[in-house]
Amino acid sequence: MDNNIKNMPNFRPNKAPARKTVREIIYHVVGIVISLAFILPILYMLATSTKSEAIYAEGVGTIKMFLPDFANIGVAFDNYKNVLIDYDIWKYALNSFIYAAVVIVLNILINGLAGYAMAKLTFPGKKLLSFLIIFLIVVPVETSIIPLYSIVKVMLGLKKQMSVIGVILPAAISIFNIFLFMQFFQNIPKEYEEAARMDGANTLGVFFKVIMPLSKPILATVAVFCFIGVWNDYLWPSMILPAANDGSWPLTPIQTALIAITSTPNITTGQVMASLVITSIPIFVIYVAAQKYIVQGFGTSGLKM
Amino acid sequence: MIKTTIIIFVLFFLAFCGFVVYDLTTAKRRKEVYRVKSSATAYLLLLPSVVLAFLFIMLPILYSLGYAFTDYYLLDPDNIKFILFDNFKELFEEISEKGMLYNAIKNTATFVIGVVPLQIILALLLDLFVNRPGFGSKIFKVCFFAPVVISLSVTAFLWQQILAPGEGGLLNSMLSVFGVPPHDWLRDPNTAMPCIIVLSAWQGCGYQMLIFLSGLSNIRKDLYEASSLDGANWWNKFWLVTWPGLRSTFVYILITVFIGACRIMTQPMLMTGYQEHTVTLSYYMYQVGYKDYWVGTSTAVALLMTIFIGGITLIQRRAFREK
Repeated sequence: MDNNIKNMPNFRPNKAPARKTVREIIYHVVGIVISLAFILPILYMLATSTKSEAIYAEGVGTIKMFLPDFANIGVAFDNYKNVLIDYDIWKYALNSFIYAAVVIVLNILINGLAGYAMAKLTFPGKKLLSFLIIFLIVVPVETSIIPLYSIVKVMLGLKKQMSVIGVILPAAISIFNIFLFMQFFQNIPKEYEEAARMDGANTLGVFFKVIMPLSKPILATVAVFCFIGVWNDYLWPSMILPAANDGSWPLTPIQTALIAITSTPNITTGQVMASLVITSIPIFVIYVAAQKYIVQGFGTSGLKM
Repeated sequence: MIKTTIIIFVLFFLAFCGFVVYDLTTAKRRKEVYRVKSSATAYLLLLPSVVLAFLFIMLPILYSLGYAFTDYYLLDPDNIKFILFDNFKELFEEISEKGMLYNAIKNTATFVIGVVPLQIILALLLDLFVNRPGFGSKIFKVCFFAPVVISLSVTAFLWQQILAPGEGGLLNSMLSVFGVPPHDWLRDPNTAMPCIIVLSAWQGCGYQMLIFLSGLSNIRKDLYEASSLDGANWWNKFWLVTWPGLRSTFVYILITVFIGACRIMTQPMLMTGYQEHTVTLSYYMYQVGYKDYWVGTSTAVALLMTIFIGGITLIQRRAFREK
């Protein structure tokens, strides 16, 4: 084997590995340059969030813009404490978490039950409903935000307490999630259900005790996408929720509150950046922790086009 | 409006009943057995989702079809008149007079034409770049994906700082090293839209890169080995193996990026406000319908936009269909 290679006309010992190393180095240098283009703005955000206005102004135009200010770590602490406590970000974040939790539970219950009925039960009129599901997935719905607003406004009368329902309920229904559940439940073998039914379980019992425990991956995918959707949603809450100026507990979620916070007079650049960092942390954590389910999610959505 | 909603609901209910009766009468022929108890449970399980989907998905679509032909003013909901095509006539007048709607269409078109190729090509290149074993490529992948994690509003505020006018802006201060004078990026009509295009591609392409990667992983490895044996170079391999394998992923990405680009609104809204040089179609719709209360005009725009997006999507699917 070795002899064969050495006899080949193009064989040059030592040359090939060297060329390979050069190529590796070029690859990594190019990669680092491109990566910098992607993460420099984020580094700038992180670094600036640790600085006072004076130190920030001093660093403008130099490499210091992207480096955190380790010398005065107390300033960083103050920035974060300021936006969290004085600007009430912790309240808005808590609101977002509560909205997300309620939406996740409702979404899984409502769409999961519908998906189960569509996948496992026979009833007259099923064909019409499956046609409607496919139809509504294809039709672009986002352009109907103004009619949706007028419907919710008439329905709820836009009282302060009712507007919370206006944020949650439209997010609780997702045709696409019904579709995902349907696909998943169809692949669960009938034997599981039949065994449970032999033991005397009714349909709801089968759903909660047999189907749900078998469906953890799809539940996780739906929950993760719900969380990201609710946490990042900015437009709809800003339309539907009244601004709280009377000192009572605010109803707005964090993204909507950001606008008010970042446009406060006298807020420093460091504080603005600190509030942006705080807003980004939960999504970052979700992406790191639930990577598998996110990939799975768009794997399935990509296949079904 | 409540009366109309009830009428629509009754119509839907009757249509559904019609289907149920049809299914029941043809059940024997199709050898299908419906049990009363199981059907009743199914209806019960479906009830919450059907009610919500009716209220928040079906109704908005139907109303946006209907409102487009009325003079609905949000503060005067009891006095809606049908005015047929007057809304559309008004819109076309506004376009021909180069009003706000003209700018909105122009800016949206600029954005779509700029961002769709930029983002997809960037995503494809990045995905080919990181699709190799090794520690380095993993780190690069994380870096390219990092902007996706940040929400739209955070990105808008961050880039507002970066593109800030005067010496204090990040971009201006970096360019001043090379002697370029400071520039007001977001207020200059020539640079505002390109800036929004670049930051949108910066934020979005990592997501498409991951989708492309999952498409790449579905391509059989032995095809590459076979083509190597046949003496194929990098370009041959890309064109004959990678590209056909990525085709369906590409169509999916093209359609989703295109639709997303047509809807652009958050970035101009938060970064520049309602300005002639950055207003987009969705933003115009929002402004007219929500801030100025002219729901009729706003839904007329929405209807035209839906028809346009749907049409282009169909054409794209047709054009890139598997042969």
